[in-house]
Parts: sequence; C-alpha cells; structure tokens
Amino acid sequence: MGISVSKLTDVSDDAGARLAAELGGPAVVIYFASPKHDPQDLALSVARAFPAAVTFGCTSSGELVSGSMSKGAIVAMGLGADVVSRTEIAVVDGITGSDDGIGRVFAEWEAKLGQKMLDLDPERWLGIVLIDGLSGAEERVMERLGDLTNVIFIGGSAGDDVAFKKTVVAAGSKVASDAAVIALLECPSGFDIIKTQSFHATRQFLVPTKVDRAAREVIEFNGKPAAVAYAEALGVGVDKLADEFMAHPLGLMIGGEPFVRSPQQLVGESVRFFCGVDEGMKLAILNSTSIVEDTGDALKKALDRNQEARGLLNFNCILRTLELEAKGLTEQYGNVFKVIPTAGFSTYGEEYIGHINQTATMVLFR
Amino acid sequence: MPGQVKVMIDRIIEQRSKGNAVLASTTQTKLILKGFDPARYDASTPDDPLVLAQLRQIAADLNVTL
Repeated sequence: MGISVSKLTDVSDDAGARLAAELGGPAVVIYFASPKHDPQDLALSVARAFPAAVTFGCTSSGELVSGSMSKGAIVAMGLGADVVSRTEIAVVDGITGSDDGIGRVFAEWEAKLGQKMLDLDPERWLGIVLIDGLSGAEERVMERLGDLTNVIFIGGSAGDDVAFKKTVVAAGSKVASDAAVIALLECPSGFDIIKTQSFHATRQFLVPTKVDRAAREVIEFNGKPAAVAYAEALGVGVDKLADEFMAHPLGLMIGGEPFVRSPQQLVGESVRFFCGVDEGMKLAILNSTSIVEDTGDALKKALDRNQEARGLLNFNCILRTLELEAKGLTEQYGNVFKVIPTAGFSTYGEEYIGHINQTATMVLFR
Repeated sequence: MPGQVKVMIDRIIEQRSKGNAVLASTTQTKLILKGFDPARYDASTPDDPLVLAQLRQIAADLNVTL
C-alpha cells in the first residue's frame, strides 16, 4: 500500500468517498482542508469513507500536495499498514485551561501499549500533533508532550485561510477548537525529520529583560523598550521596524540552528511574537535567505540519507507561504516536492520539540 | 557550595538520555526551551535558591529523580 496523496479543489458532500477512491485502503488518513469545507461535515465524511482507518486533520491556510501549493483545497495523505503498523489517537480538549489532558491520554495509551511512554523507542515511534492555531497554547502542549516522552512530536498549528477567527482540529468524526489532536504512530521502517528555516544568524543578539509571557510580548530587550532596542539593532527607525519583521525575526540558537521567534506586531513600545519568548533567552537577529533553495537543499540531503523514503508530511509556516506569494515563488516551492508524494499545509506555527515560527517541519516516512 | 545548578542539569540529561547521544541532544534542547541552557552553567555557578527550585520542578516534570 505504501503512501498515497490526493487533492480535492471543489466543495462537495462526498469528499470522503472521493478521497477513498484515490487513496485506496490506508491504515491512517491525515488531511488538511481550507475552512471553506465545513470541518464537521468533512470529518464525518472522511471517517465514514475510511471505516478501517484512523483519520485526523485540521483546517489550513493554504495546502501543499506533491508539486503544487493551493488555496481552498483539501489535501490528504494515506499511510499503509506497512508504513504505520499501530496508531493511537486522541483529542485533547481545553488546552488553554489547567487540566492535564495530555497526561490522562498518555496514561490510557500506556495501559493499551503495556509500555511507558518514556520507554518507547523514539526511532520507531513518531508523534504528530495538530493544535488549534488561535489558542496560544502551543508552548504548553509541546512542553507537556516533551516532558512525558522521548518520542518526538512534530506538527503544526491549524489555520483558517488567514481570517484569524476560528481554527479546528479533527480526529475521526470529532472536531474541536481549544484542542489538540495527538497521534502516536509506530513506524516499523522508520522515519526522518526535517526542520528547515531560511535564515542565517548574525552576531547581534537581543536578550529579553522584561516579558509578558502569557501575551507572548517582550516589553524590554537589553534593558530598553523592546521596539527601540530591536530597531537600533537593525539600524532603522521604530516607525520602520514592523516592515523588517519578516526578513529579520529572532532565533534561539540551539546546536547552531535557530528556533525562530517571529515578531507579530508592535504593541506600543513592546513587541508581540507568534510564540513564547522568555526573559534571559539570548536571541540572535536573523537575516533571511532563499526559502526555495534552502528547502530544496534540506530535502535533497534528507532524501540522500533516506533513499527508501516513500512520502513526506510538510508543516509549512504561513509566513513562509506569504513570502513565497509576495515573491511569486509558490510554483517553484511546490516543484521542490515533485520528487516525493507530499501533503502539507500552511500553518499558524510549527511544532518540533517546541513551538516555532517561519519554519517548515517535515516528516519523511520510510 | 557553588556548582549545584550544573550538577542538576547534568543529572537530568543523563537520566533522560540513558547514554543515548540523540536523546541527550533532545533533552538539552528541551532544557534550553525551558530557559536553562546547559552551556551557561559551570562548576562555579552560584547556588541561587530560586534557580535550584526551578530546576527541581523541571526534574519532577521530566520524571527525573535528583
């Protein structure tokens, strides 16, 4: 069976059946869909069309399937039983609250698996996480997942065609907001993870000295009003700072790689980010490079070390998509993925160990 | 006695990774994302009670016994 992908561009009542006609009989179906396709109707339709499969997905802000980027579509990937031999899935509700839903789900999974989540082999087991992209709870979800297991969870924050009103995740026939879908996949042939961002780090650093963590806002960098310090570091006036955000986000450097923190907007003299920034974090100012070239290089390297790779899931930041659109490069970006069956979507944040921005996190299934 | 912060961080990494280099790297990344970059602490780092308390909580969250 292996891996198959499909794309539907029109709204219809029988989306699930049409996907089933193309995807065959997979063990797992993962789908991403513009919210113009009613999420509840779609979840039901997909669950009915694949009665023997685990199905899950989320709303998107643009989709990606082998060779092309799209808007307003449904894309889906089917994973055969030879790729994924066992799957556990759950919807964790109320992620903005204090309830430990992840701990509860993991306890249930441990009872079923007869094994502690901490003891699972992270080279055989993969976690996928889809999170309400407007919840602002991604850091807490990722931290809890990382605390409880060594299995790597990778994924993205659901989108809503850049309306920023409501994002939805789905598992089986259930859809939810203020929620995360977490899936645990046993991959007997293994997988590889790609994290790529198109920036290089400068030698200039900003250190948050006063933050409002809940609001993801930095009030002061280096003891100065955040906007003033950021603008000074870039050599621009505060009035021009927001124009520089896309090309010069900040990076928490780990092992020489930036975990990108993207500024969202100015709030007075504070800077609000798309992900959490803590006091004392030494953040490098980043300069943008070519998304198409860098992603092509990252994929080529991954395919070279995984010559038996059969399919790719791509969680691509909406900010990267917007940049590609602004530069007229969406066709070239889509072409990067012609070489392997691919499905993905434009996210409101990417997940890999933590919550990051302006990045593509990908899973290459062998 | 200074250096307790470094000792606690090393124990967390050691217990979570059980000698696996990839897991050690992943655990370091998790610690950095929590605000504790192992490279910033050494044997001369003062034993700040607040920092030690934060590390004890992190160890508990990670199911590590110090």
